[in-house]
Amino acid sequence: MNSELASARRIIRLGFALTAIALIAVAGVYVRALMYTPIEVRQGAAQKIFYVHAPAAWAALMAFSLVGIVSALYLWLKDPRLDLFAASSAEVGLAFSVVMLTTGPIWGKPVWGTWWTWDARLTLTLMIFLLFLGYLTLRAALSDPSERARFSAVVGILGLVLVPFIHLSVYLFRTLHPAPILLKPSKPSLPDTMLATLLYALATFTLLYIGFVTTRYGLARAVAAQSGREGTDA
Amino acid sequence: MPSTPDNAGYMIAAYVITVVVYVGYTISLWRRARLMLRSEDD
Repeated sequence: MNSELASARRIIRLGFALTAIALIAVAGVYVRALMYTPIEVRQGAAQKIFYVHAPAAWAALMAFSLVGIVSALYLWLKDPRLDLFAASSAEVGLAFSVVMLTTGPIWGKPVWGTWWTWDARLTLTLMIFLLFLGYLTLRAALSDPSERARFSAVVGILGLVLVPFIHLSVYLFRTLHPAPILLKPSKPSLPDTMLATLLYALATFTLLYIGFVTTRYGLARAVAAQSGREGTDA
Repeated sequence: MPSTPDNAGYMIAAYVITVVVYVGYTISLWRRARLMLRSEDD
């Protein structure tokens, strides 16, 4: 076994260990949200969707931001490992986006009275999901590793440009979506018990992102090593 | 004062979908790792 494969194996093992810890912590989020966090009087139990929806949105946007940043670094440094990390983060970001885009409408139906509305926040979020779906499709369609890395890096950077618009869309446009509770200049607008649950969920989903992306990156490194060409996709 | 709406079904649906996606993705990674390591051993 060559050293590159052995290194990839170690990364995969570390990734699975982190993922296992994070999944146990997700169970803790469920217990804390369901049993130890009060029900919001006006929204009812559906408000508790917030404890999985907002952290999933945070993890998805963090993943997509990292794709853009690492893609820019790839275009500068031409290190194929950066390209492999960007591809890994894009795939993991899509997994978190699926949670964000399904739990959002499930909360919207009882609270807004509609599953979906084409306002700025929701539409931009759907756009970034489709953009990164296109990113992975583009990677699958290109066989030359350096061409694939260059083209997808440009798409990744375009995705990064969307992230601040998504965050600020609730201020820039008329929208049904609630304004940020944490990432804003003033104090968090949430009772302490709910805030503690939200912070715990944010930390847990961040750890889950790290576990997923480490595993996926290890897989990408292993496939690249197996094929004997750095930059070959997993 | 308005009464608290009974909408726990929506919360349960969202929590189930969340765990299905995360566990499903973990299984997908595990299967890919197993296939890759098996082909490496062959």
